Amino acid sequence: MTESRNRKIWSTPWRYAESIAVVVALLVIGYLLQIVVGEFNFFLLAKPANYVIACVITFICIAIGLRCTKSSFARWLSGVEMSVSLIVALLLLTIIMGFTPQTTHSHSLLGFDVMTSSWAFVIIYTITLISLGALVVRRLRVFRIKDYGFYLNHFGLWLFLLCSGVGYADMERYIMHVREGETEWRVYDDDENIKELPIAITLLDFDMDYYPPKLAVIDLENGEVLPNGKGDYFQIDNDIPKGNLNGWEIEINQYIHNAVRNSDSTYQEVHMPGATPAAKVTAIKDGIIRTGWICGGNQAQLFMTLSLDDKTSMVMTVCEPRKFISQVEVYTKSEKNISAAIEVNKPLRVDNWVIYQYGYDNNAGRLSSYSSFELVYDPWIIPVYIGILMMMAGSLSMIWEGKRRKESENDVE
Amino acid sequence: MMWSNFIWFALPAILLWLSSGALVYSKKNERLSNLLMLAGIAIFAFFIAGFWIHIERPPMRTMGETRLWYSMFLSIVGFVAYRRWKYPWLLSFTAVVATVFVVVNLVKPEIHSKSLMPALQSPWFVPHVTAYILSYAMFGSATIGAIIQLWKKDQNKGVFNFIDNMIYVGYGFLMLGLLMGAIWAKEAWGHYWSWDPKETWAFVTCAAYLGYIHIRLRRNKKSNTVALWFVILAFILLMITWIGVNYLPSAQSSVHVY
Repeated sequence: MTESRNRKIWSTPWRYAESIAVVVALLVIGYLLQIVVGEFNFFLLAKPANYVIACVITFICIAIGLRCTKSSFARWLSGVEMSVSLIVALLLLTIIMGFTPQTTHSHSLLGFDVMTSSWAFVIIYTITLISLGALVVRRLRVFRIKDYGFYLNHFGLWLFLLCSGVGYADMERYIMHVREGETEWRVYDDDENIKELPIAITLLDFDMDYYPPKLAVIDLENGEVLPNGKGDYFQIDNDIPKGNLNGWEIEINQYIHNAVRNSDSTYQEVHMPGATPAAKVTAIKDGIIRTGWICGGNQAQLFMTLSLDDKTSMVMTVCEPRKFISQVEVYTKSEKNISAAIEVNKPLRVDNWVIYQYGYDNNAGRLSSYSSFELVYDPWIIPVYIGILMMMAGSLSMIWEGKRRKESENDVE
Repeated sequence: MMWSNFIWFALPAILLWLSSGALVYSKKNERLSNLLMLAGIAIFAFFIAGFWIHIERPPMRTMGETRLWYSMFLSIVGFVAYRRWKYPWLLSFTAVVATVFVVVNLVKPEIHSKSLMPALQSPWFVPHVTAYILSYAMFGSATIGAIIQLWKKDQNKGVFNFIDNMIYVGYGFLMLGLLMGAIWAKEAWGHYWSWDPKETWAFVTCAAYLGYIHIRLRRNKKSNTVALWFVILAFILLMITWIGVNYLPSAQSSVHVY
């Protein structure tokens, strides 16, 4: 854009016109490749190829960064106009991605449904990495401590993009299902193939806790929650025992979180795996009073509803889980033996593996006889975290300083 | 403090904010205008605190709850930025936009139960959401500045300076929110970036503001106009990320509920 009226395109120094032209050319090459050879296979990058590629990219960045004093091409590649053009290209590609449901194997000619493995994306990503890396080297040659925010943000991003990109192929993720009281070391990959791991897990106990359920009025004919279309729910909450539900005035007389039914169809509190929430409710409408116990039931106990009239009943909804937790023993080939409780957001690290609480038998809930774990091996995670932490520090510097740098016609040299 | 009490805090807050936004243009009422704005913010913050205690979890799970924070942060950002840059329109516009979000919450609350699914029970939850909503508030005020700047033919250097600063600081918070989300995702799901639709759009928003920041490194008349339009475009993309994603066919399996 600058000076574009007085100068011919491709005469140095290159500015926006040339940068945009080159990025468009890269995209065209990417889409031609996509049409001819199909999507890019990330698993070609598996170890050791990714170590070689990471070294080659680093070498190219250093070489171009060091050439910047002499070569106008190197200055252009790591310059502002090229970076804006690359950012806009990534922006356009990810906007397309945001509007297109993504799949694992492409069904479209241009690969919009597998965007991150499409050639255009991979090429733009790689050139961005080189431009960014070269810029870091270029600016390190004229190191100034007051530019610390620049270094943290740019080097952090470069490290993150490089290691998460090439490291993706080395990541391993498996699912392991373990029955209560049993020990398991076989896992399943994404395609349901069985594999044996150097880690075994014994499930000692699986337990869940729930939030209090809701009450609703249903139409007995079709089971739909009333009023039709937008069901009305009453959240059981000891702080708010009274309320309205589909025209009925209701009051919770008693709520038992862990209840077991007595022989006379009342409930009492018992702490055992088969216990389920139950509530004694009084409902009043137009002088009609209904009182009784309501229970959602589970695999061990029948549900109980409160009949309101010929056509409607009051019922309890399925509870939402508050937490689910697995007590386990983990054994490794390196002869470690670890007792731990694994739950969502609290994974367990063992050697190079991280074990996550993954799932359970949704129909059985608390009575689930097994627990599922996800085991993840990610050898590139350390440099990725270093990149993330550098960018976080860089973000703090932006918050602290705001916009500081003055504009310039040419980059710092 | 229950949701049903909200209207008794919302209406006074709106009244205070709007009268502050109107009075700020007269020199002799400047002090009064400041006090009214602060009183509005205090009432609103008091409600959020009480509501947080009542529902026994951070009120950040649902769409309606994030709007609550947006109204509060926008009024705070508007006030602080007004004090710093002395543009009265900044206070008025942020008061109006904060009011719009309060009204949306009055008409369509979308506030639900106390339950918080296990994946959201994490120390990262609160900083992740607040950093994001705070950055959205800053970008909102930068967008107001950009519209004003495009409206007026003679471009004011001071307003541009304000937009730059809002976007730099906002971008800092946006990145903090995103990176904390990445660390959290690694703890909860085993990977820091899965191109979940919300993540894809978060990347889009991030790239758009990054584009603005880099466009501003070269300044001339044409790039100034392009940059201002970029602020508006970026804010539209931000709105898709925040509100629109849930309606996209590509997002039917997203882990983000808002």
